[in-house]
Amino acid sequence: MKRYLYLSITPEALISSMLRPAEFGNYQAVGTKKRTRGQSIFFEIDVEKAGDYVPLEYIEKRCMPHKDGSPKRSVYLSIYRVLETIPLPALKNLYLTTDDGRVLSLSQAEFRPKSHSQLHLYQELCPVTVRVASDLGPKEFIKRVTDTSHHVAVPRLFFADLQLADLANDPVNGLAENLPYANIPHLRDCLIDIHNKENKLTKTVIRYMKGEFLYRTTNHGFFVGDKETMIFYPFPSKEELEEKHYAWWRSAQLLGF
Amino acid sequence: MIDIFWIIPVTAILALAFAYYFYSQVKKEDEGTDMMKKIAKHVSTGAMAYLWQQYKIVLIFFIVLTVVFAVLAYGFQLQNPWVPFAFITGGFFSGLAGFFGMKTATMASARTANAARQSLDKGLKVAFRSGAVMGLVVVGLALLDISVWFYVLDIFYPITDTHNMMIITTTMLTFGMGASAQALFARVGGGIFTKAADVGADLVGKVEAGIPEDDPRNPATIADNVGDNVGDVAGMGADLYESYAGSILATAALGAAAFLNNSEMQIKAVLAPMLIASIGIVLSIIGIYMVRAKEGASQKQLLGSLGRGINVSSILIVIGSLVLLYFFELENWLGIWGAIVTGLIVGIVIGRATEYYTSEEYKPTQKIADSAETGPATVIISGLGYGMISTVIPVLSVATGIILAYLFAANFVITDMSMGLYGIGIAAVGMLSTLGITLATDAYGPIADNAGGNAEMSELGPEVRKRTDALDSLGNTTAATGKGFAIGSAALTALALLASYIEELKIGIDRLMQNAESYVFPNGTEIFTREQLNELHISEFMNYFEVHLMSPKVLIGIFIGSMMAFLFCGLTMNAVGRAAAKMVDEVRRQFKTIAGIMEGKAEPDYARCVEISTKGAQVEMVLPSLLAILVPIAVGLVFGVGGAIGLLVGGLGTGFVLAVFMANAGGAWDNAKKYIETGHKGGKGSAAHKAAVIGDTVGDPFKDTSGPSLNILIKLMSMVTIVMSGVTVAFSLL
Repeated sequence: MKRYLYLSITPEALISSMLRPAEFGNYQAVGTKKRTRGQSIFFEIDVEKAGDYVPLEYIEKRCMPHKDGSPKRSVYLSIYRVLETIPLPALKNLYLTTDDGRVLSLSQAEFRPKSHSQLHLYQELCPVTVRVASDLGPKEFIKRVTDTSHHVAVPRLFFADLQLADLANDPVNGLAENLPYANIPHLRDCLIDIHNKENKLTKTVIRYMKGEFLYRTTNHGFFVGDKETMIFYPFPSKEELEEKHYAWWRSAQLLGF
Repeated sequence: MIDIFWIIPVTAILALAFAYYFYSQVKKEDEGTDMMKKIAKHVSTGAMAYLWQQYKIVLIFFIVLTVVFAVLAYGFQLQNPWVPFAFITGGFFSGLAGFFGMKTATMASARTANAARQSLDKGLKVAFRSGAVMGLVVVGLALLDISVWFYVLDIFYPITDTHNMMIITTTMLTFGMGASAQALFARVGGGIFTKAADVGADLVGKVEAGIPEDDPRNPATIADNVGDNVGDVAGMGADLYESYAGSILATAALGAAAFLNNSEMQIKAVLAPMLIASIGIVLSIIGIYMVRAKEGASQKQLLGSLGRGINVSSILIVIGSLVLLYFFELENWLGIWGAIVTGLIVGIVIGRATEYYTSEEYKPTQKIADSAETGPATVIISGLGYGMISTVIPVLSVATGIILAYLFAANFVITDMSMGLYGIGIAAVGMLSTLGITLATDAYGPIADNAGGNAEMSELGPEVRKRTDALDSLGNTTAATGKGFAIGSAALTALALLASYIEELKIGIDRLMQNAESYVFPNGTEIFTREQLNELHISEFMNYFEVHLMSPKVLIGIFIGSMMAFLFCGLTMNAVGRAAAKMVDEVRRQFKTIAGIMEGKAEPDYARCVEISTKGAQVEMVLPSLLAILVPIAVGLVFGVGGAIGLLVGGLGTGFVLAVFMANAGGAWDNAKKYIETGHKGGKGSAAHKAAVIGDTVGDPFKDTSGPSLNILIKLMSMVTIVMSGVTVAFSLL
């Protein structure tokens, strides 16, 4: 049986498994007897490019089929500071799993902004989960946050940019009533603050993420990298989701109950 | 018998023939893929299993009541000997209508989804014509039962004698009791089933497991689909069957009483409501053919196409009834026509008011959605508030309708109570005259809903889902307006029944006097002959029975009647909670014990969930149903006619307003949630959405269980009081 290597973001962990990505996502979300339920986001890792960090011998020994022939579902290899240690070229597809175990696969692509936006909203997902408003584009943002010459920095970051609708260009008067975020007046204040202060590049909107990530709020997609390299995973358009990934899309919108 | 009576059974048979034609046309349609067939089969089997289980319990109930009626009729001579048989046929035909309606609706869902793969118009036609089967079967069977009984009773009580006509019409009224009892179980049982399944499926599916609606992995999803049919097809059909038959029969009884001294005019007054219903059948069929849609039609255009059918039927019934009454030469025919038009307009106004207060197109629902931004508590508060305010237009329009119908029919002589009350009855007949098509739009709702569910579960393409979503969305609106219509017609019918109670009392007293020299009223007045009894004016009759607002018996009756509406609602709502909890337990058990459900590798035990909901509904419906029957008997026996009339007045007044409130609040909560789901206030998954979902869950038993069940309560209490009038006058304590 083939062994797979996954970098889980929810929570951060390196896991070996005999399950294929879709099966692994389902297992992560609902378990084997539907006694658990929870969103799961993970990367598939190319073992060849993962470097010395991956304990191959340990995997060979532990990640074995069960006595009844069923595949080993998970062997945890590491649970701390994993993202920063896996070489970026080893990252394969990104998988977004819904609460009920539907899995969407995202491939890497070159980042091209849909339109010019003055302001951005970022949800950091790993290693911290801060929601940040910024007037920096994704490339500049990741460069700044992973620049360890600053006091406040992380070596590597995985995050998503979120929809801001009219607020992206007009935080004062832009319509915001149809945005799904809690406490919109506070978000508006943060954006106005950045908009009005020239030297203010980022502002924390929420210190840590409560609950789970509402996939449908994703704007361009997901970003991972450091100050030198940024990898982009574009999130499909609503039309594409409805047409090609309908089952996942329906479940993804239920999040939060 | 009058020459044109044949029209009545012929149009009844015409309705049934068209129902069969539509049924066979729908049946010819392809059911689609194997998956679509499989899902439809699950729903159909579940629906039939529920229906048979319900019929078993109803059968026991009918046997017991028939024996009671037989004892009262043959043992104590307190009732007409035909009552037990009339009671059985009313129940039988109502049950038969429910069976045919459900059979067609469950057969149609996959066919509608498959037709939607071709075009929107095709989907609409299949769904609507399947709904039309229910509409036409209900009016056809009701009118057939009425005409058969009229023929049979005419043999034993020739209608040339005006007193015989009184006996015939009041005897036929008891057939309404059978229909009422059947409707009670269909509405209460169906209402509990549908919401137990819906709430159970949502709680454990959406909230606990994160599974979307209509996902085949949810074991309760088929029960939820079955519930749509059980509640909104069989339940609504039985409810309106009873209103339809009840309004015709009560008006006939009032017509017989109004012309007690004029045989020729009496026959015409009795036949007029039946003939108007006959014309309504023909016009409903014409209206059904007017319903079609263009590809890519908007929600408004779809609604317009259904509205076109109903509007054409309504306009034609206005003209048709005018022509009929003119050539029929019924006394004050123009005034009676005015009453019919009044009834039609009241029905339309109530429908529009319901749409205004429950559709997301209008401010009230949007305001409830606004309040979701501040949490579930404000959603509940604003929903309750708008629900209460929404009672104003229906109550005022019914009140206006009552006085106008009364005045028109009484030729503006307010003291002419006999004709005035006949006018109120015939206004109800006018409102329900095009039931064939209005019920078709109601039954269309669950068919389109199930078709949408089938399309989701069968993973049909986005274009098909878009079409079935459009059809489903249309069904939500027609379902809400249909509920408003059902409540409004129930109120007018109950009022007509209340008025005809007086005539039943006269028959009851007359029967007592056959074995005694005289009858002594509660106020001490004694009468000795049938002539004296027949000459009594309604106001004298009320005085003799001490029916006035200062009478403690009447006041107690009003209080108990009002309380009954709340008690009934409370019991049915709690019943939903208990039955839903059982469903939640069952779904949890299946997730735990059946491996592979969530991966889509194993099929859940759908039938078990249907069974759980069925059993829950059957057990839970017994207590509220028994109360609805026993309380009017007990009040009549203790507090006499005054108490019984007070009970009906209190029950009608409170029940009508409460039913409107509950149906509209529930509908508005539902559509506020849907409004948010279209992207407003943050859309799906937002805090506002979560708050709105809580409002919708609270509103579910409001609009689909307790609210609609109140329709039956107010009519059934009237029916029970009417049927037991002989016992009341013979044995009342006070």
